[in-house]
Amino acid sequence: MDKVIEIQNLSKLYPNGRGIHEINLDIYQGDIFGFLGPNGAGKTTAMKVMTGLIRPDRGDVRISGYSVIEDYEKAMAKVGCIIETAESYPYLSAFDNLKQAARYYPGVDHKRMDEVLELTGILRYKNEKPRKFSLGMKQRLGIAAAILSRPQIVILDEPLNGLDVEGMIDMRKLIKHLAETEQTTFFISSHLIHDVELTCNRIGVVYNGRMLNVESMDSILKNYATLENYFVSEVERNGRVPSRAS
Amino acid sequence: MKLKKKTAMLMSFTLGTLLFATTALADIANKSGYEQLKDSLKLTAEKASGEFDSFTLDISFVVKDNGEIVMSQNQLEKYDRKNGASENTFSNEDISGRSYSGYNYFDKNTMIGFSNGDNTYHVTEFTDERKFNSFDNPFKQEEAEDVEKIADALVGSLKDYVMVNENPDGSRELSGSLSEVQIPPLVNAVSSFALKQEFNRPYEQRGLNLSKDIYVKEVKGTASVNKDGVLENVLGTAVLSGTDAQGKAHEISIEILGKMTDINSTVVTKPDLTGKNVVKEVAKSAEYGPEFSNPQKFVGKFKNDIVIEKDGKLVKAGERIVDITSIDSQSVSGRYHEEYAQGFEQMASKDKEFNFEGTFEQKSSRNARLTINTDSSKTYNGDMFFDEYAGKIYFNVNYLLSRRGYDSNYSPAFE
Amino acid sequence: MAVFQAALLNEVEKLYKKKKAFVAIILSLSMIVLGQLIIVGVRTGFGVRGVGSAEFPILVLSVVVNTILPLFTALVAIDSFSGEFSHNMMRITLTRPVSRFKVFSAKVTAISLFILANLLLLLVFSELAGFLFNANSASFGGFARTVLAYLVSFLPMLVLALGIVLLANIFKSGISVFFLSILFFLVFKVLGVFFSSYASLFITTHLDWYNLWLAHSFPGWKILRQLLIMAGYGIMLFTAGFYLFDKKEF
Repeated sequence: MDKVIEIQNLSKLYPNGRGIHEINLDIYQGDIFGFLGPNGAGKTTAMKVMTGLIRPDRGDVRISGYSVIEDYEKAMAKVGCIIETAESYPYLSAFDNLKQAARYYPGVDHKRMDEVLELTGILRYKNEKPRKFSLGMKQRLGIAAAILSRPQIVILDEPLNGLDVEGMIDMRKLIKHLAETEQTTFFISSHLIHDVELTCNRIGVVYNGRMLNVESMDSILKNYATLENYFVSEVERNGRVPSRAS
Repeated sequence: MKLKKKTAMLMSFTLGTLLFATTALADIANKSGYEQLKDSLKLTAEKASGEFDSFTLDISFVVKDNGEIVMSQNQLEKYDRKNGASENTFSNEDISGRSYSGYNYFDKNTMIGFSNGDNTYHVTEFTDERKFNSFDNPFKQEEAEDVEKIADALVGSLKDYVMVNENPDGSRELSGSLSEVQIPPLVNAVSSFALKQEFNRPYEQRGLNLSKDIYVKEVKGTASVNKDGVLENVLGTAVLSGTDAQGKAHEISIEILGKMTDINSTVVTKPDLTGKNVVKEVAKSAEYGPEFSNPQKFVGKFKNDIVIEKDGKLVKAGERIVDITSIDSQSVSGRYHEEYAQGFEQMASKDKEFNFEGTFEQKSSRNARLTINTDSSKTYNGDMFFDEYAGKIYFNVNYLLSRRGYDSNYSPAFE
Repeated sequence: MAVFQAALLNEVEKLYKKKKAFVAIILSLSMIVLGQLIIVGVRTGFGVRGVGSAEFPILVLSVVVNTILPLFTALVAIDSFSGEFSHNMMRITLTRPVSRFKVFSAKVTAISLFILANLLLLLVFSELAGFLFNANSASFGGFARTVLAYLVSFLPMLVLALGIVLLANIFKSGISVFFLSILFFLVFKVLGVFFSSYASLFITTHLDWYNLWLAHSFPGWKILRQLLIMAGYGIMLFTAGFYLFDKKEF
């Protein structure tokens, strides 16, 4: 299988001492990778570095073989993402928001824009401005914008934030659908462990800024009753030795 | 790649800094024509007040309406700094068509004024030698710096409208011209209005009665600076355009010409007054007024008429009389009273009769401050001025002045 | 280039769809109407012509380059940077396959286009007002000069905008950037008056440089020097602004 994301020795330290240390991680095509970790473990930091929002102190991230630091445009050409919260311009209609994104991809036309709005279930709000949207609707619009260009890789930071139960189910369906029909690779961080268990096929646990373990969902479920059990035991095992020399 | 980006940024920033720094230095070093003009003006003033022994200034000012001269002023000033003397000859014609000309002479001891109108030389001789600079540097005055700042700010970006032409011998020609588009509209509007107020004399024949569409059409000037940096010649012209109430278009041109000539070779000669009509005065010094030569001649009665209206006619109701009983160069005293003709006696009152005493002022020896004690024992202030030539006195007493019809000008009573 | 075009189109669309640009246009137009009313008042009240049709646009220009034009430029520049920094909106653009340099350039270009559009709008409407109300001194030469004066005013305004962009990348809050910009503007204006021989070093002085282009005897060297000073400022400010923008974490 092809490596689509390679994370090499990635480090980023914030002045307050938090951050990520020497993260190494490979994501393969077709993975629905679940990035798990307690709050403040460094999930968002790692994902921000992956999408070029912040520069790492050391290390590099290669997406489709291109470094995000040196070849940002090429690295991001086939990536769609949402980091932290799905943002949109409140003064542009949902459709115009998508149009903004569409300009960066030659193959995206109005038909495709309607298509993703349909997929995320907000087509009838297409001409309304996100100013009036609920958090869930904004999240759906963010997902629509992320998958607009038929990206090969989708990076989602807490994609279920603000979604109701129905929304969560829709989202899971959508991810599964894209993974099956378009072989899209997903990199998803979430604290909703049950949902990750239902959606993802590989799991990585990050704790205190370090990668603890990467395993496939199948092998986890062989050894543990649920993903939650696995996660708790991983965190507990490492949490007892809180500050391993860095 | 990363290194290349950093290098590129560093290089571009350095390029920007270099570009800015070198041009900025060049720009500061390169004085605009306006600055050069200002510099040579200052240098000229400084040399004229401190270096040149003598020089001549020829200044003229002409206003033309459609080519016809409506107003002019010519002045030829000669300065001899070495001997502390100066003289000037002037001839003016004002906008109403009145013309006058004359001559003035100044030195340390003497001041002579002559006006062609009365054909008399007014000579003031100073008993103490006065401090007299024939030419003061106008840039050394207190307000000069502020005025310069204001001028700089007003000129603003027009500074570079002054062009400089350098001649091989080191002398320079400065020139500048502004047409209506280049004059800042606000400046244009304000100066048009000011000039309109200046020239419009609606009740006189020759007034320029512009009423519509007034604007400054053009301003231009040239100046030549000699190789020592001295401004020798300045010519400025402004053209004002507008239409009068009859719809006739006018172009008013205002020209100012100044020339500095005969540097170090100007001779100022004191005029020979023998056989001329001369009025002489003596003053202590320029700060003091002329001296009161013979106060004694003012002893006696001075009077004027009390005039009132009666039955539609002006009639003499009586006389005001100022009786000077004693006077010397220090003080004066006397009595004031009013005498009424028959039929007007009822106008008399005690208040209109009083004694006065006065002392002469130090600096103006023909002017006396008065204290007045009325017969009804009230005290008033006033002053008195003695006109030596006309032989008249001016008697100003506050409470008399407040009365309607009071006349403070008294003539001697010859009987 | 296609990516830059996309980024630029996006910036222009955002500018255009926001109310601010619209308000700027309305205010610019009301300036012209107000100016024309004052002129008519002066003309009937004092008999002074005030301005001819050729000068009215220059009068408008002389007022706006020192007032509303820098004001709107500041508002748009601050909105384009600080406004998007504050609501994480920058991420929408930055997570797309477009380099930060292109985003920064596109933003600056969009601001330039706004300035240019504002100038052209003022030019067209002040020319119109000039022809309608002051039609007594129209000439083609005058018209060409007016157009030139408006066009060259673009450059100092752009340098000013780059300065504001730099400030917006230094300080977090858009409001503090706005007030700092105004403060700097006033300070430089005052310094320009008090140190008039160094006035050409201040950006604010260059705002009036269109006057140089109107001179009878073209002060070519002076114009070149001012051009180079502005270019130096522009390059420095652009580089510094981009350096900070590139380093920023979102």
